[in-house]
Amino acid sequence: MRRSVAARLMRERLHPADVVVCGLGSTARAWREQNAPHATYYASDPMGMAPGLALGLALARPDRRIVLLEGDGDLAMNLGVLITIAGAVPTNLRVAVFINDRYETGGGQPVPNAGRISYVTLAAGAGWPWTGEAHDETQAARLFAALLELPGLGLVAVHVDPEASLYPPDAGPTSQAEDRAVFQRRLSGES
Amino acid sequence: MSDDGQANAERIVGALLRAGIEIAASLPDSWLSPLIERISNEPKIRHIRVTREDDGAGLCAGASLGGKRAVLVCQNAGLLLSANALAGYAHHHQLPFLVLAVYRGSYEDRFYYQMYKGLVTEPVLAALGIPFHVVDRIEDVAVVEEAAREASLARRPVVVLLRRAALLGDARAS
Repeated sequence: MRRSVAARLMRERLHPADVVVCGLGSTARAWREQNAPHATYYASDPMGMAPGLALGLALARPDRRIVLLEGDGDLAMNLGVLITIAGAVPTNLRVAVFINDRYETGGGQPVPNAGRISYVTLAAGAGWPWTGEAHDETQAARLFAALLELPGLGLVAVHVDPEASLYPPDAGPTSQAEDRAVFQRRLSGES
Repeated sequence: MSDDGQANAERIVGALLRAGIEIAASLPDSWLSPLIERISNEPKIRHIRVTREDDGAGLCAGASLGGKRAVLVCQNAGLLLSANALAGYAHHHQLPFLVLAVYRGSYEDRFYYQMYKGLVTEPVLAALGIPFHVVDRIEDVAVVEEAAREASLARRPVVVLLRRAALLGDARAS
């Protein structure tokens, strides 16, 4: 399954009021290409920090559901956050981990022990109450829907094809701080 | 636990509440035990235990993104580990939060393994462009509240380094 398909399947199942947080790299690019209407915060950089940031946002805004779209390279940098999140038990946080077994935007190098890592086992071992693993489009569609019907915390690991993720030709017109201000203004306006 | 430690923790948490702190992330240090226990028992603060200090930085940044004031409570070793996260939230995202870090490795300490932290903490924070203040005594606890306001105005994390005496008084232990 191409990562754009996984991103589309998620977009089609989100509630309009859902807030999306994206980890770095090809997962964020796949989501950006969806042009989804949802309030979205792109958490990169620092690498490895997106799950913690999503947890903090979920705690600060219990009135909103936060959906973290995370890459396996980003999560692998900081597996301890699975324990932190499980301990915090934020009922309004859902997580989808896009697994391509590579540092795609870093040049496509494999992650350590590529192909033999079970993120659902890691999450379950850390105490997550619900996990699911999708290897194809049918499974992803079903498990994303199930994730978003949960009353509480859950994680879906979705396997996507390795495919090049080229850098855009320029940095774009706005800085992270400017994007952050726009996101906060939208979030406060929607409350 | 010393009476001084409990009394000082009470005053520090009072400063956090006056500063509008509603979310706290922590990783322990023995000098921080009374403070973390007091935070954990404070109903107006949501306390989250983290596995790494930079997770706490991310959590506090996310809370700030969502409009809440947050504090990271940790040892100064956690500041060194969190250098990338602190710099990223200070200069890239410009998200404010407060950090209360115990100042290990200085004249009050009694362990070889703590000393390198005392040597490098302030230079590292200065190099990162993270404002910091050292609180030697609990009588200066108002700095905690003022640093939270400073963080909000400066749109970056601000660190308060707490000496042993500010946390535990004059009692000698650990």
